[in-house]
Amino acid sequence: VTSRVDTIAAPATPAGRSALAIVRIDGPASAALLRAISRAEVDPEVRKATFARLWDPKGELLDECIAIRYEAPHSFTGNDLVELTLHGNPLLVERVLDVLVRQGARLAEPGEFSERAVLNGKLDLVQAESIAELINARTALQAKLSLSNLEGTLSRSAEAVRSTLLDVISRLEAALDFSEEGYEFIKRDEAGALLRDAMFRLGEMAATYERGRATSRGLEAVILGRPNAGKSTLLNRLVGTDRAIVTELPGTTRDIVRETIEIGGLPVTLADTAGLRAGGDTVEEIGIARARAAALEADLVIYLVDATEGMSSEDRAEIAGLNEVLVVYNKSDLAAAPADELSISAQSGLGFERLLQSLDSLVRSRFAASEGALVNERQRGAVSDCVLAVEAAIAGLDSGLDEELVLVDLYAASTALGRLTGAITNDEVLGQIFGSFCIGK
Amino acid sequence: MSALGFDIIVIGGGHAGAEAARVAARGGARVAMITMLRDAIGRMSCNPAIGGLAKGNLVKEIDALGGLMGEATDRAGIQFKVLNRSKGPAVQGPRAQCDRDLYAAAVQSILATEPNLTILEGSVASLTFQGDSITGVVLADRTSISARAVVVTTGTFLRALMHSGEAKTPGGRFGEPSAETISDSLRAAGLELGRLKTGTPPRVEKDSVDYALLEEAPGDERPRPFSILTDSIDQLQVLCWLTYTAEPAHELIRANLHRAPMYSGQIAATGPRYCPSIEDKVVRFAEKPRHQIFVEPEGLRHPWLYMNGISTSLPADIQDAVVRSLPGFSQAKIARYGYAVEYDFVNPRQLEPTLQARGIEGLYLAGQINGTSGYEEAAAQGFLAGINALQSIRGGEPVILRRDQAYAGVMVDDLVTQGTVEPYRMFTSRAEHRLLLGCDSVYERLSPIAERIGVLDEPRRRRVEQRISRMNLALTAGSIPLRPDQETVAWLREAGIELTSQTTVGRLLQRPEITVARLTEAAADALPQLAERFAGLSEEETEGVLSRLRYSGYIERQLREAERLRDDEELLIPAGISFELPGLSREVVEKLSAHRPHSLGHAARIPGITPAAVALVRMHLRRGVRKSLSGTEQAS
Repeated sequence: VTSRVDTIAAPATPAGRSALAIVRIDGPASAALLRAISRAEVDPEVRKATFARLWDPKGELLDECIAIRYEAPHSFTGNDLVELTLHGNPLLVERVLDVLVRQGARLAEPGEFSERAVLNGKLDLVQAESIAELINARTALQAKLSLSNLEGTLSRSAEAVRSTLLDVISRLEAALDFSEEGYEFIKRDEAGALLRDAMFRLGEMAATYERGRATSRGLEAVILGRPNAGKSTLLNRLVGTDRAIVTELPGTTRDIVRETIEIGGLPVTLADTAGLRAGGDTVEEIGIARARAAALEADLVIYLVDATEGMSSEDRAEIAGLNEVLVVYNKSDLAAAPADELSISAQSGLGFERLLQSLDSLVRSRFAASEGALVNERQRGAVSDCVLAVEAAIAGLDSGLDEELVLVDLYAASTALGRLTGAITNDEVLGQIFGSFCIGK
Repeated sequence: MSALGFDIIVIGGGHAGAEAARVAARGGARVAMITMLRDAIGRMSCNPAIGGLAKGNLVKEIDALGGLMGEATDRAGIQFKVLNRSKGPAVQGPRAQCDRDLYAAAVQSILATEPNLTILEGSVASLTFQGDSITGVVLADRTSISARAVVVTTGTFLRALMHSGEAKTPGGRFGEPSAETISDSLRAAGLELGRLKTGTPPRVEKDSVDYALLEEAPGDERPRPFSILTDSIDQLQVLCWLTYTAEPAHELIRANLHRAPMYSGQIAATGPRYCPSIEDKVVRFAEKPRHQIFVEPEGLRHPWLYMNGISTSLPADIQDAVVRSLPGFSQAKIARYGYAVEYDFVNPRQLEPTLQARGIEGLYLAGQINGTSGYEEAAAQGFLAGINALQSIRGGEPVILRRDQAYAGVMVDDLVTQGTVEPYRMFTSRAEHRLLLGCDSVYERLSPIAERIGVLDEPRRRRVEQRISRMNLALTAGSIPLRPDQETVAWLREAGIELTSQTTVGRLLQRPEITVARLTEAAADALPQLAERFAGLSEEETEGVLSRLRYSGYIERQLREAERLRDDEELLIPAGISFELPGLSREVVEKLSAHRPHSLGHAARIPGITPAAVALVRMHLRRGVRKSLSGTEQAS
């Protein structure tokens, strides 16, 4: 193996016992490595699952496997690539990798396979990010969103806007460079109308960010309320285990207790907090301060009111200034809640179905995204830079600015969108993106 | 066999050859220009005009560097017009209709004043090489001429074939022969040649046209000279005219496409998309009811008109019918029919950014041989090839203009990095930082380079210096304060401007609603210090300064962007480097190895290289730099 484009290898499945385990080999020597360890004279047919026995240099059998060979550029990475499907024992995988490395392969860095795919133009940046998201998805909805982005929904929206920008750019350019030919290439109003349409679509893209980010990261929900309102009982019931300690004594919960469940297709981390009251001890006071801080930062607050005591002015003061609050009356078995309010008995489970439905529809209507959404700050930044530049271009057109200056803004807009998909990029962005991968992707 | 010897030989006396020969001679080299026809030096093969959009900028660049095209145009121009006059100076293009006889005479008389230049009439049969270096040329009469560098500027003359309808005649220009054997020499030196075509429209007898039926197309009231050496335009200024084709002519052309060499398959070579023949226009813009024709005099006394807009290779009978269908042309007599010419060219990807053929010491190519079209493109390349040939024999630094420095820099970079598959023409949109490339700033950008190399004549140097200091003084007007006192508010209101808080003239100019003319008019009496700073500026200089003040925000943005890109331009790729970097696909490695980019910026412009791949090469190069730096530290 003399080429400086090195050949890398890594397991593509997690360590652990399973029926099968896959090892990926990528680079110019991948086929030669397969021939070497399978003691074959010829390469297996391209893209055909082929049975092979793998041997170590001393002639000892390593495993029986199915090998599939891909030829550049028709592979995930765009390079020559081999996938070995071994028996799923980590010891076997380790021995095979050991032999591959001794024959000249290098163990892959995290994300290196995807990085190669981007380098070779097989994936754009949004798609590469989607792979990491897809692999880490914890709910079906998260997986659906990642798959939609991987499949190119978002990239296509960006590309559509970019092609509108390029249409306007090229016609404005033609008007400058061919002004003497006696043809009309574009009217200012027409350019303005096309750009306003692009702005509308950019606005739609930008608007996907809040949901996209929420879906990708999951939600933080805080259960807040006065002491003994039944917060810990509610948490335990939502989680389905006795996670939080429940006693008759007000002020039992002091530090925050967290547990993650799925609501509306999103992972939602529920936090049970100290009951809000004045006059506790120092430890309880710290707990209360933490509860309030957590509620301020939370995506969603479930504010629990003791139906026997009703909503007080203190409760109203706590709720004011919070983002998204769902008020729930507890102890409906002891006292009736006001009409139209959600009421449950955390103790008996009465009204619980309705609460779950309310939470579910709240999350779905307010936070969930299932396709083509911006999911991280890098993506949002690129779209928002584009929006600013198109706005400037429209303002320029409206105020009669010369075309060559309007074009400066339009090129900036197109560059910003190019940054989204990686048509234009820089090392830092790449480093950041691929740093979040684990080995073998 | 005689033994002639020169420092530099220039083959060809067209627009590229004239600039190459002159600059090399000015730099002190002993130069021989070899031309098939001495009288044809400086001849305009096609349209009798110099300049235009982006092309006019090239002429100004040549002038700032000490070249001759601007001077010759000012002596021969019979109608001057700044195109895109209503827009900013960055995209304005000065253009001049020229008397073709006066133009050639001007070029010839300028060349005649160069003592180091010898003009030889003859036909070059072959180039001679020793190893990887050129050693000279052999003429058709077997004369050998030796030189340390040879600049080939043969235009459309290499294995040239003219087409007029079904008729084919060897030759690079009407009535002139073709150069049949130089192509073999270039091929023998390892260069790959391709085939291109270009066309020219019919010429019509001046006195066979009814001008009453044409639209007048006058030039600018005050002709604006190209060269900084010119104080005023002394030639008589004349009118051009406009007319339009109509549907009957289009029908006729469509019915006879099979007789047009481009469509019948007689010419397989690629023509220019941007200067299409009338056959092309009728087919490709089928929805347009008419196409515009500028009717341009070929000279003050010249008996012909140039039909700008209907370049064609259709047979004579169709040309007659098309021309006679035009309003005012019903009795027109065609003096010379339009024709297409196809010729050999060298794909310029085989050139260094100095325009030297890669790996062939001393062989420089410039002009249409490199696949470009247009006098101005040719002249700019000729100048750069000439100056680089000069520098190579003097052992001096090569002259490579950056993309943010000159349109000529954009052109050469485009040619050597992208190559071309059709005749390459300059456009302002080819320059990513064109706000920096306006005619107003050309002298400060380029004259210092020519001065450093010693090819800037003293009169030009002095005028450049004075211009720059005049304009710099005027630029300081931007910081003149405007306080909202009663008096100031009153005269500004008079000019339609509301002043509410303290500002400066510069900031006021940046408001979109301000009309510059009204402001300066009103300021003439009210703010005498403003007028003082602009005293002594020409109209063109004033416009340049005002626009720089007005659009300083945009200009600074482009400056910053250009600076950022310059890092990549200055990140040089060592000559022998292997591109087999971890992660790059075979395809990318092959592309990089074939193009052998000299800098990372160059690599980024190669088609098919992903930005991610560029980032990887960048990381690799930087790592290399760090390694070698730390190596030095250890050593010291």
